[in-house]
Amino acid sequence: MAFTFKGGIHPDPRKNTRKTPVVQITPPASVHIPMSMHIGVPCTPCVKVGDVVDKGQVIGTIPEDRLGCPVHASISGKVTAIEERCTGKDGAVCTVTIENDYQNRIAPGVAPFEGDARNLTSEQIVKVVRAAGIVGMGGASFPTYAKIEGAIGRVTGMIVNGAECEPYITANHRLLLEQPERVVGGIKILLKALSLRSAVLAVEANKIDAVKAVAALDFDPEMIRICVMKTKYPQGDERRLIHALTGKEIPAGKLPTDIGYVVFNVETCAAVYDAFVTGMPSVERIVTVDGGCVQSPANLLVPIGTPVRDLLSYCDTDVDRIGKLIAGGPMMGRALCLDDTPVTKGTSAILAFEKREALKQQKTTACIRCGRCLSACPSRLMPREIYRAFLKGDTEKCSELSAPLCVECGSCSYVCPAKLDLTQAVSGAKARLKAIKRTNVPPPKQEQIEQTKNICSPEKS
Amino acid sequence: MTVEPKQNKLLCVSSSPHLRAHDSTRTVMLDVLIALCPLLLWGCYIFGMRALTLTVISVASCLLFELLFNLITKKEITIGDLSAAVTGVLLAYNLPHTLPLWMPVVGAFFSIVVVKMLFGGLGKNVVNPALAGRACMLLSFTSAMSVSPVLTRLGLFESYLPADAVSGSTPLSLVLNPGETVVSLSNEQLFDMFLGNECGTIGEVSALLILFGFLYLLMRRVISWHIPLTFLGTVALITYLLPAKGFERFDYTYTLGHLLSGGLMLAAVFMATDYVTCPITTKGRIIFGIGCGVLTVLVRYFAKQEGASYAVLAMNLLVYYIDKITAPRPFGSSPSSKVKKKKKNGQEEKL
Repeated sequence: MAFTFKGGIHPDPRKNTRKTPVVQITPPASVHIPMSMHIGVPCTPCVKVGDVVDKGQVIGTIPEDRLGCPVHASISGKVTAIEERCTGKDGAVCTVTIENDYQNRIAPGVAPFEGDARNLTSEQIVKVVRAAGIVGMGGASFPTYAKIEGAIGRVTGMIVNGAECEPYITANHRLLLEQPERVVGGIKILLKALSLRSAVLAVEANKIDAVKAVAALDFDPEMIRICVMKTKYPQGDERRLIHALTGKEIPAGKLPTDIGYVVFNVETCAAVYDAFVTGMPSVERIVTVDGGCVQSPANLLVPIGTPVRDLLSYCDTDVDRIGKLIAGGPMMGRALCLDDTPVTKGTSAILAFEKREALKQQKTTACIRCGRCLSACPSRLMPREIYRAFLKGDTEKCSELSAPLCVECGSCSYVCPAKLDLTQAVSGAKARLKAIKRTNVPPPKQEQIEQTKNICSPEKS
Repeated sequence: MTVEPKQNKLLCVSSSPHLRAHDSTRTVMLDVLIALCPLLLWGCYIFGMRALTLTVISVASCLLFELLFNLITKKEITIGDLSAAVTGVLLAYNLPHTLPLWMPVVGAFFSIVVVKMLFGGLGKNVVNPALAGRACMLLSFTSAMSVSPVLTRLGLFESYLPADAVSGSTPLSLVLNPGETVVSLSNEQLFDMFLGNECGTIGEVSALLILFGFLYLLMRRVISWHIPLTFLGTVALITYLLPAKGFERFDYTYTLGHLLSGGLMLAAVFMATDYVTCPITTKGRIIFGIGCGVLTVLVRYFAKQEGASYAVLAMNLLVYYIDKITAPRPFGSSPSSKVKKKKKNGQEEKL
């Protein structure tokens, strides 16, 4: 019996790369490493233009008491520029450009954890995880050390998320299949940090081979319980995952730790393992490269900061045919405007969609009240109603309809036969409510409606 | 490996999701039309080619009125979404094949212009346009709209001349009026009604083909089972347990007679499930189906005429309230969120 939640959608899985082993990308000529790849305060560069850096060397630091973690060089070479660049996420971000010298020197500080690995304390683990610059690699990029700190003593259950429910992406699948020992090792360390006995590894039913690979390892089955989840989008959303596994709903505005659970992505676990075993900080990750323009889709092990263009050319992509370039999955990923945007710690996939696929003018009609958005919404919201309230500038109604509970999974827009931009409207409503909460003054109604016209294609009436 | 840098070629961006399902308003309407097609073929077979003529007139005038309305109000032309075509077909299916050829135009005008476009077009109408059009015609042309109790086949443009003093009864009247002659319907009669070998309006006679259409729509996930099954189930349950005066209780032939006669099946599968005029929540759809069933039986018992379409029209008016009371509880919100809302309103009043 597979675990699941109510709602959600079944998009075409398109896991074309499920049988493609992870390969190391050709070393990039240069990398652009953003100083902010995590939620929190951006790092300050601690290198100058002209400095020679080694792989694994700290290039961005952050005060101990602020939320965030350091950034490291992902290749060895010379710093050629420190400038503002578009990283596809937060607009322009301070970025350190390193030109590869192809020496592959490892920084002197990178060494396996010294000390008694059997008697690690929580504080030690938090320290190492922070120093290694590990963030949630499922996409949210929340600093992992902060997550552990917040969870110590408060959680009773740890869930490891290997659901990977977005179409196309197979990075976690390949990781579990090829290197399950890294994931399991990371889980053991994290369990120690949280003083817990057992964890649940949640994997969608379409990755049975990965489940078998993990189960074949030698570990205490009491310690890691593998749960097979129903293949459905967005199964990997942490609120849905916890609800499916435990039957508990996270109250609105609360975090998983508030009800005693903590969720880590499988690749994050593997990064934690590396930080102890090799001492290498978080400087590379697995990226699925796929989409209509990509002739040989692949899973690549990519140094952080590699321009997306390098990934595309490695996979024989017809660059001229690209209509839309997406960092992340097709449901929640961001469309990139430039193909020299760097890969960050949260980039799980790069998708290059063809022009005819991406730029096809979707003709919108009026809402026909089919109710599909309601049955697809995993948060049990009424996207259609929020959409209408948002277009009217009725922020109060949006709040009554619980717009802030939206997780922006995109299911409502996906199913809408009228092709309305429901997700965009609901997340717009969410952002506006957040802004009002911050400033405590709602903008004038007419202004709101004007803004809305810029964001959303208004419903034809 | 170095790549020739393409200097700042900007790509198209948009907000997520970047994938959309294939279904569009047009494909949904097309699926409904496909599900309705077999009924037209059967109608032509049993009533003659005049059934086709009437349907074509009805569809054409529905499309034409919508187009004219779009042109006159200088709005975007919306006939491409095919919803007007669906209305046209459904309207025609509710007409007897003996109707004068100009009458569907009047019905189409009422359906499209008055009921649909004046309320704001697709998605904004309160009641089902086809049913409202039929109700309007029934009031305006009562005798022409009544179904002839004798099966007559008519050619393409052949007009109907009522024969004098024809006695007979439609299957529906058998279950409406407790006659002295008919105690219960025979199996042969029921089977004929199931196949559609009976008199009635163009599209309502064949329960079998309506069920095929239902299965097709279910398979294509255009509609869910909730409304049709609760609607028919309620009618079956009431007629089985509490038959009208003069009929016996627990008589399955009576129940089947109710289910298979008149426009009940057509209304349950194609009219009550109209997206625009049915509730959007699953719970609401169940309430809606049950309500339709109860009202149908009440009209049939006490007004002694077909009640399915009136029941659907009446329930259409309640959809707004049904939606309101069946709104789902958002994930993670406390069950007592209504109390909170009241408090909030109270605070604002104070301010």
